[in-house]
Amino acid sequence: MSGARPLQLILARNLLSSLSTPAFLVDADGNLLFFNEAAGALLGRRYEETGQMTAPEWTATFGPFDEDGRPIPYDEVPLTHALRGNRPSHGGFMIRSAGGAEHAIEASALPLVGDQNFHGAIVIFWPAGEAVGPS
Amino acid sequence: MKVKVWGSRGSIPAPGPETMRYGGNTSCVAVTLSDGTLLVLDAGTGIRTLGLELPPLQGPVNILLTHLHLDHIQGLMFFAPCFHPEAEIIIWGPAAVEAPLLDRIARYISAPLSPVEVRELPSHVSFREAEASEWRIGPATVRSCSVSHRGPTLGYRIEDDGAALCYIPDHEPALGTPLDALEDEWISGLELAAGADLLIHDAQYTDDEYSAHLGWGHSSLSDALAFARRAAVGRLLLFHHDPLHGDEFLDGLGDEARARWAAAGGAAEQIGLASERLELSVAGARTSRRAS
Repeated sequence: MSGARPLQLILARNLLSSLSTPAFLVDADGNLLFFNEAAGALLGRRYEETGQMTAPEWTATFGPFDEDGRPIPYDEVPLTHALRGNRPSHGGFMIRSAGGAEHAIEASALPLVGDQNFHGAIVIFWPAGEAVGPS
Repeated sequence: MKVKVWGSRGSIPAPGPETMRYGGNTSCVAVTLSDGTLLVLDAGTGIRTLGLELPPLQGPVNILLTHLHLDHIQGLMFFAPCFHPEAEIIIWGPAAVEAPLLDRIARYISAPLSPVEVRELPSHVSFREAEASEWRIGPATVRSCSVSHRGPTLGYRIEDDGAALCYIPDHEPALGTPLDALEDEWISGLELAAGADLLIHDAQYTDDEYSAHLGWGHSSLSDALAFARRAAVGRLLLFHHDPLHGDEFLDGLGDEARARWAAAGGAAEQIGLASERLELSVAGARTSRRAS
């Protein structure tokens, strides 16, 4: 059996899988571990299709980009602040779906700490200007 | 390893004529290692009768607490060795951010809930926080990891003389996602239990009851069986019986569990229900039941 995930990531994945809010889960190195159906609808891919992705893989596939289409350096995205600074972070940027459509989104990254270790982060995002949750 | 169940009830003691055979005491399992070292898994009310029947201690007693819910610590202040000046007792339990293990246990063993304070116990009691790691006690390797339950909660795996015992009495591994939809690495506690000769696992609820107790931290029968199957354990002992489940009800639950296990390709004798005074000998690749 491959290494078990920390309980905090297991519970986070279970939570995300039950949310209608687009969200994904990364480990402490920024590798994409899971994204939920709502995120998949925005990204144009289901998690079951992509599986886990390394940080270079998912940033090359989905972004983030600025409004002019330039890639945003990894150091400047909210997720990186959460991973490196171990603090919640929020920001807005563009992402590109697998079908090529671009979406302006806002994202909040929440670090996951438990058992005296830092395990990764949850990132919740939504199209800019739209309310989160059911209307 | 020799295993003896001293309490298999969950949540609250449930003594009475309806629970005579499976017992009403809460979680406590004694494990005697190959060199005679005694480990005690949880300190529910079953630990009281264990303490009364222990011979004079020849070495330290290690008590491994999975968590600090009352049904897992309530017997601690009635464990006879705690009042023996010569006894050495080492209590292991989960770490928590809010306070050290000693302080959290002292909330129970202190006024107004108790006439005795922890520091007044005449025995030599020490407290150690079991991080998600592996350590040795006597000839055994003990490993703990956090598992899905409310509050900081551990499962334990004990390996000795080629045999492995896994103890996860309070566990809800299927919370939010069915087990069959998850890869092994995403199932709480699965690596800890993998290949164990004996798994003692939460099965508090029937499948019908579980839907009304989602998130309470316990397993349905289906999830306990599925977890054991995924872990490929040698034998499963269903544990943490609901206080509302009397002997006849548990007999039926056991029959159902064995039938379903057999229908899935297993051997019915791999499945048992924990009952007070049940004794098992755990050996590598084989777990035999002794007359109790």
